[in-house]
Amino acid sequence: MRLRSLTAAGVVAAMLALTGCGGGSDDAGASGPVDLRMTIWSANAKHTALFDQIAAEYKKTHPDIGKITFESIPYENYTTALTTQIGGGNVPDLAWILESTAQDFVTSGALAPIDKDPDLLPSTTKTWEQDGQLFAYPFSTSPLGVFVNTDLVTAAGRPAPAQQVAAGNWTWDQAVATGAAVQKTGKGGIVVGDFDYKGWDTLNSIWAGWGARPWSEDGKTCGFDQPEMVAAMTAIHKMVFTDQAMPGPGVTKDFFAGDAAMVLTQISRAALLEKAKFKWDLVPLPKGPAGEYAVVGQAGIGVLKRGKHVDAAKDFLAFFSNQENSAKLAAFFPPPRKSQLTTEVLAKANPLLKPAQLQSVVIDGIERGDIKTSHVGYAELQQTVRAALDPLWKPDADVQAVLSGVCAKINPLLAK
Amino acid sequence: MSRRLKLLVYGVLLICCVPFVFPTWWMATTSLKPVNEIFAFPPRLLPQDVTFDAYRQVFALQPFGQQYLNSLYIAVLVTLGTLVVSSLAGYAFARIPFRGSGVVFVVVLAGLLVPNEVTIIPLYRMFDGLGLVNTHWPLILIPMLGAPSVLATFIMRQFFITLPRELEEAGRVDGLGRFGLFWQVSLPLAKPAIGAVSIFTFLHSWNLFLEPIVFLSSKDKFTIPQALTQYVDAYGGALWNVQLAAATLSALPVLVIFVLAQRQFVEGLAQTGLKG
Amino acid sequence: MTLLASKPAAAPARAPERAPYWTMRRRDELAGWLMVTPQLAGIVAFVIVPLGLVVWYSLHEWNVLAGTFDFVGGANYEQLTSDPRLGPALQATGLFSVGLVVLNLSLALFLAVLLNQKLRGTVVFRTLFFSPVVVTLVAWTIVWGFLLQDNGGVNGFLQQLGIDGPNWLRGESTAMISVIVVQLFKGVGLNMVLFLAALQGVPAELYEAARIDGASAWARFRRVTVPLISPTILLTSILTVVGSLQVFAQIAVLTQGGPGTSTTVLVYYLYQQAFQFHHFGYGATISLLLFVIVLALTVLQWRMRRRWVFHES
Repeated sequence: MRLRSLTAAGVVAAMLALTGCGGGSDDAGASGPVDLRMTIWSANAKHTALFDQIAAEYKKTHPDIGKITFESIPYENYTTALTTQIGGGNVPDLAWILESTAQDFVTSGALAPIDKDPDLLPSTTKTWEQDGQLFAYPFSTSPLGVFVNTDLVTAAGRPAPAQQVAAGNWTWDQAVATGAAVQKTGKGGIVVGDFDYKGWDTLNSIWAGWGARPWSEDGKTCGFDQPEMVAAMTAIHKMVFTDQAMPGPGVTKDFFAGDAAMVLTQISRAALLEKAKFKWDLVPLPKGPAGEYAVVGQAGIGVLKRGKHVDAAKDFLAFFSNQENSAKLAAFFPPPRKSQLTTEVLAKANPLLKPAQLQSVVIDGIERGDIKTSHVGYAELQQTVRAALDPLWKPDADVQAVLSGVCAKINPLLAK
Repeated sequence: MSRRLKLLVYGVLLICCVPFVFPTWWMATTSLKPVNEIFAFPPRLLPQDVTFDAYRQVFALQPFGQQYLNSLYIAVLVTLGTLVVSSLAGYAFARIPFRGSGVVFVVVLAGLLVPNEVTIIPLYRMFDGLGLVNTHWPLILIPMLGAPSVLATFIMRQFFITLPRELEEAGRVDGLGRFGLFWQVSLPLAKPAIGAVSIFTFLHSWNLFLEPIVFLSSKDKFTIPQALTQYVDAYGGALWNVQLAAATLSALPVLVIFVLAQRQFVEGLAQTGLKG
Repeated sequence: MTLLASKPAAAPARAPERAPYWTMRRRDELAGWLMVTPQLAGIVAFVIVPLGLVVWYSLHEWNVLAGTFDFVGGANYEQLTSDPRLGPALQATGLFSVGLVVLNLSLALFLAVLLNQKLRGTVVFRTLFFSPVVVTLVAWTIVWGFLLQDNGGVNGFLQQLGIDGPNWLRGESTAMISVIVVQLFKGVGLNMVLFLAALQGVPAELYEAARIDGASAWARFRRVTVPLISPTILLTSILTVVGSLQVFAQIAVLTQGGPGTSTTVLVYYLYQQAFQFHHFGYGATISLLLFVIVLALTVLQWRMRRRWVFHES
């Protein structure tokens, strides 16, 4: 009876769980091909096609490798799903890791050290190092830029940001004025990509211009109540509620659908503009009170120490990220290599962007860019700050008081 | 009932309809709008520019057809399996005074009280131990035999308990054993309960969200609710129109089937032992 | 208690020698056990054993990333008693459950009474009210997420009426109301149908008799209808309470527990601790608390039935 055997299977499962609680990472043994699995968050078909192509080439020279799968987990639940797999004992061999959780993964000892190619820019590997060892290959080092809908800006009677960049007066004051002018026409002004009044860490693309940071370099002291942060947040609050230059909470204006003047986001999103029906441009972040600045987004590819085939995974990662493949990947993910950060290489990979845009935003950006502040226990900090920051997104909020409140909430977590 | 009262009742019913019907209407019509019309304020009831672009993308970005089939076949299997498990158990609890039935019933009922979030971690480890993570087995076995099937068993029991004794006594005289009584006498009478259990179970399986997220990781194995949240660009930015088109596709066929069969649907549900 | 009735079969003191071993009673015993075996085994494998494991995990500090699993005794339970976020989570859970259960049961009963009038076209209305039940939960929630935006459909509609709607998902109280309402319209059709069936089971003569006694419509509803359908009220309220304590997808899609922590209900908090913050041990402890709450509420409701459920007295 089929049903009975199913029940039996269930009981066996229960018993196995009881006995095998330790979480097995036993070696698959010498015989049989080695299968590798890499978790990624991109669901983009072009990305996976390229990955598959690289994997196929690798297998040509490595007959011992069976299947190489790229498992796409939605960005929103990415770290959660990854940790569940690890916790459940189903450890992937390789994984993309978000910059913000970098410290968590690096310091916990979840990752195996990998070889460091001298071609890698030191500014890109900093986040992924501990005790002189590199724990993940920095990839997709993507600077943040400002995409501009020049149609909307011109229609609102404002000078194009590119002209202001050339004239040397591309500042936040000017950007806000432009945003406000466009928002008066019923469209959105300045949008911070993925912020939506929840992902507060994306605001680093603004506050870095004020020299502010959420917590100190060593992660021990809260930075929210520091003067720089208070000034930056006051400016953002004013931008939203007084100047009306940024769509308010609960209002969605999609830049890529032509509904907003500007968006601060990763330049890799240029792909979304392929079919745009409006004229657009890409410029660097505006100058802030603390001067010119750049911010880069980043991800790392790590080899999980408790994966079944650590050595095979390391070898594949080395191949995946070598000169030749890095150049191919540059189509989507700016390379962290000195030798490839040239306008020629990048232009081939990003046909939508002009050489001047590549130089000013990508190359300069990566070389001096700030990366999102990371922390051990980042997820808990992220959620705690999000909850404590919510009172700020009201017209009559007391910025200083809210920010002190944030510090009060996260100090116990920072002290851990 | 007076004319005026009738009008009043109709008026109230019509107003009440809005929050039930409008979201579905909005979902279906908005999925035909170009992206820049989605956030037009105030929203329009009908699209100005009808485009099927989003629907094309639904299938281009993900194996949506496959995911649809996954959801469908899992839900059907779970429903069939649950019917077998719950009708047997429900019958035994209702009609057979076997030793220990009280204790067993309490143990089983406890299943109704354990939220699935509570046990998801150990269940994940169990299925991983069997090598069944990233297969559909957990999504089939757990609802069919575990906590979600308890409600079905309860409905079945409540139904069987209402059957008059005499029916079975007549069957006994004809020489039927327990399984015979169950199969030939009681079960044929249980159509309403079977209907209700099928509906509950199918919808429960169709709507599962946390379990697929935890257990499944490759796209061609995904189920519909999980797939719906996947229409995002590489950085998690939602593709609004595609998401709505996929949502519409997930809802409309079931809605149509429901409207066509609504009498059996609702009345089956209504005539169950859930009356008390 | 009819529900748990089990009459242990009294074995005959001395069986006559010729009697076969497989008496009808014995055969019944065997059949009963065979029939409940799949269900029982499933519950043991997928509920009881995992629950035991959860207890075990709750005694450990389990860092998933580092791969450590250390026994810490009652430390997680101590943390539970001093966790400043637990109070708000319990409060949000209470608000959500009470709000949903009260609104759901009253609206369901109200609609059922309306539909129980002998009017043309009630089948159409019944179908419409029930339709959200069959719409995929995540799809329904995503759509409401759009509609509840500050510049979304709900406020667009209110604007037509000359009302300036609030920013639903961004205000602490309106966010909670939104989550409740979204769930209300999704599920109320189910309870409505159950009530409708119960109402149709109330004999017309009883209403007649009450009418002759001069009882008003309200009095007839309270004295005749409510007592007669009380078993259904009990059942729907248990199911709705238990369901309301498990709300997850709606919160995850609509508010992610915010603004502030206003919609961080216990299940969501548990999910955060275990899956987002990687505190599996502590997550297990919270899930045990959740289980205890569900259990206590259900037992309470079941006990209270004697007070007001008609059939049982």
